[in-house]
Amino acid sequence: MSRVFLTWAVTHSVKEVQTEDSVLLFVVAWTITEIIRYSFYTFSLLNHLPYLIKWARYTLFIILYPMGVSGELLTIYAALPFVRQSGLYSISLPNKYNFSFDYYTFLILVMISYIPLFPQLYFHMLRQRRKVLSHTEEHKKSE
Amino acid sequence: MEGTALPLEGGGLEGLTLRRPPPPGKKAKKAVLFFEVEILDAKTREKLCFLDKVEPQATIAEIKNLFTKTHPQWYPARQSLRLEPKGRSLKDEDVLQSLPVGTTATFYFRDLGAQISWVTVFLTEYAGPLLIYLLFYFRVPFLYGPRYDFTASRHAVVHLACACHSFHYIKRLLETLFVHRFSHGTMPLRNIFKNCTYYWGFAAWMAYYINHPLYTPPAYGDEQVKLALAVFLFCQLGNFSIHVALRNLRPAGSKTRKIPYPTRNPFTWLFLLVSCPNYTYEVGSWIGFTIMTQCLPVALFSLVGFVQMAIWAQGKHRSYLREFRDYPPLRSPIVPFLL
Repeated sequence: MSRVFLTWAVTHSVKEVQTEDSVLLFVVAWTITEIIRYSFYTFSLLNHLPYLIKWARYTLFIILYPMGVSGELLTIYAALPFVRQSGLYSISLPNKYNFSFDYYTFLILVMISYIPLFPQLYFHMLRQRRKVLSHTEEHKKSE
Repeated sequence: MEGTALPLEGGGLEGLTLRRPPPPGKKAKKAVLFFEVEILDAKTREKLCFLDKVEPQATIAEIKNLFTKTHPQWYPARQSLRLEPKGRSLKDEDVLQSLPVGTTATFYFRDLGAQISWVTVFLTEYAGPLLIYLLFYFRVPFLYGPRYDFTASRHAVVHLACACHSFHYIKRLLETLFVHRFSHGTMPLRNIFKNCTYYWGFAAWMAYYINHPLYTPPAYGDEQVKLALAVFLFCQLGNFSIHVALRNLRPAGSKTRKIPYPTRNPFTWLFLLVSCPNYTYEVGSWIGFTIMTQCLPVALFSLVGFVQMAIWAQGKHRSYLREFRDYPPLRSPIVPFLL
């Protein structure tokens, strides 16, 4: 969900941020993550999961996840002045639908939402890591 | 038999005993079979409570009260007792001896979490919108710019909308106090936070725009407003009629369930086509309010409400079908013929 939002609603929509380093940051993080993640799924389905892939999936996120989040937040932050200036995706009163939406404020709220969401997801992955990798350790020892 | 039979001497009549009513003051001793009840935790199977000498005619409600004595933090409303760990909850009215248990009954207990009464939740979730809307209507400070504080809108429809919105929630509060007969006493406590966020949040969002200094009245002017008002009032009356009809199906203090049928009140004739006409009329009211105010947030509120009520109506419809063999087949849950 956040992928679609960052790609379409921020980076594509606000052309001025496309040259930012933060975009490179999250694209690299996402790319590496996805290559590992989908390899993990594929091998799992084939019932032949190399330990390396499982290890990579549950370890590299420790660096990649914060990397991705930083890239995302910096990109949204960079987009803010352009959104303010152009009134992108915003509608103001008066209008016949008696409705208003301020995309600038919305983006700020999105950034704030990272504060509760990121720790929850990160610690969930850490817990999963402990569970999955220690299970494999036991399995190996019993062989 | 002790002391009640007149023994007859002599041959030929040994099998016959004449019984006369026990002399006053001497109670006949009946062999009463007491039950034993053990309550286990449904998840851990730990034995939580053992009750002996339980009357066979004891109800689940009474057993819950006995359980509370040993575990006061689990008041009856938050107890779910079942015959199997993953079975359905037994009802308060179920009688011990009518359940498929031996003389030692085993019940599994699940904690439903902190509970709050339906009445409390309804009153809180409805009082909020009533007051919040009025804050925006009177343009209390800090909602709009300072130059608008305590000013009034110059559009008649804005005053009308306030009257309608307030009427709607006052009606709901009064119905909660005097009309509705609730099946359940309580619901989980977290629901009050969820429900109030929904009602209060949407009320604030709608009220902000309708009472805004830059509000734009409906495109088709007075005609649009008059039509909308007619729809709104019609549906409010309809909704109220259904609530009264449903109340009359159920005697006070009981939890009986019967198929609702149309009464002499024409608004109840919608029962011919729909299982939950109260929801149908409710959606109608909000559509009326949307047309009256021509406000997108109101339309969104109506849509979300419709989705939720459609889900409830389908559930209710399904349980009617399950419970009553002769349920009228023409009825659909909420929208005649369609949904």
